[in-house]
Amino acid sequence: MSTTAYTGRATNWPSLVITGILLVPLLGFAVASSPFDNRVALVGVLALLVALAAIVTSADVRTTCGPQGVSIHWGTVGWPRTRYALEDIADVSVVVVGWWSVSYGFWWTPTRTLCTVRTGPALRLRLRSGRQVTVSVPDPQQAATVLDRARGIDAPSA
Amino acid sequence: MHWTIDHSSTQRLQDQVSAAVVQGLRSGELALDEQLPPAAELAAALSVDRNTVLAAYRQLRDAGILEFRRGRGARIASAPDARDLAPVRDAVRATIELARNYGLDSSDVVTLIKEMS
Repeated sequence: MSTTAYTGRATNWPSLVITGILLVPLLGFAVASSPFDNRVALVGVLALLVALAAIVTSADVRTTCGPQGVSIHWGTVGWPRTRYALEDIADVSVVVVGWWSVSYGFWWTPTRTLCTVRTGPALRLRLRSGRQVTVSVPDPQQAATVLDRARGIDAPSA
Repeated sequence: MHWTIDHSSTQRLQDQVSAAVVQGLRSGELALDEQLPPAAELAAALSVDRNTVLAAYRQLRDAGILEFRRGRGARIASAPDARDLAPVRDAVRATIELARNYGLDSSDVVTLIKEMS
């Protein structure tokens, strides 16, 4: 009995770059402010905490596909995370994500979950509940093949 | 990265995991400095124990292919050199020569290897 799995990591470069760009002037303002008061120090500390939280929770998205289903982990500590069991997945496909629909983070709406960090091909799951889940993976076609094989379907949906 | 583990094989699971990493490097699926998935996540996906994946990662670290960095997980440190296969090629060549003496061809050797692995 063999087990096949796919693992992939997609780095959320836009989030990291924007966090860095926003952080520099804030810290610069805090350091350059004279006289140095508690409010400025508070702004600096808050900016650092927000940047740290952004890096820890949205630096990258790790996806694992296999017989257990699909698990998605965000950031350096793997949180937030979500898991979709194989029996909850109705359909798997590869879609092309346009620049207007990239979430650059973990987005949830009543009908869709988006975990996309870049344009181009991405893995899309249609759950039996009707929810659509779109996630950026380095090789969505291979991820779809692994999931279809685990579900007993030979040819992946394109 | 594509992983395949044969649970019915006589080859140790940790050897299969480390072989998958080496294969990934040879095929270009893995690149230098790329981070491997955390052991717990990979173990769950492959239905193996976390310690099995950790043992495979340690095996690769000892071979100089992986490096462990605090807070950054296991990363690819170097690609296995193509010359590493030279001893294997020599052994296979010798095995094929020996098999010919017994009236077996290369496909029989492949069948034997599959039966034994």
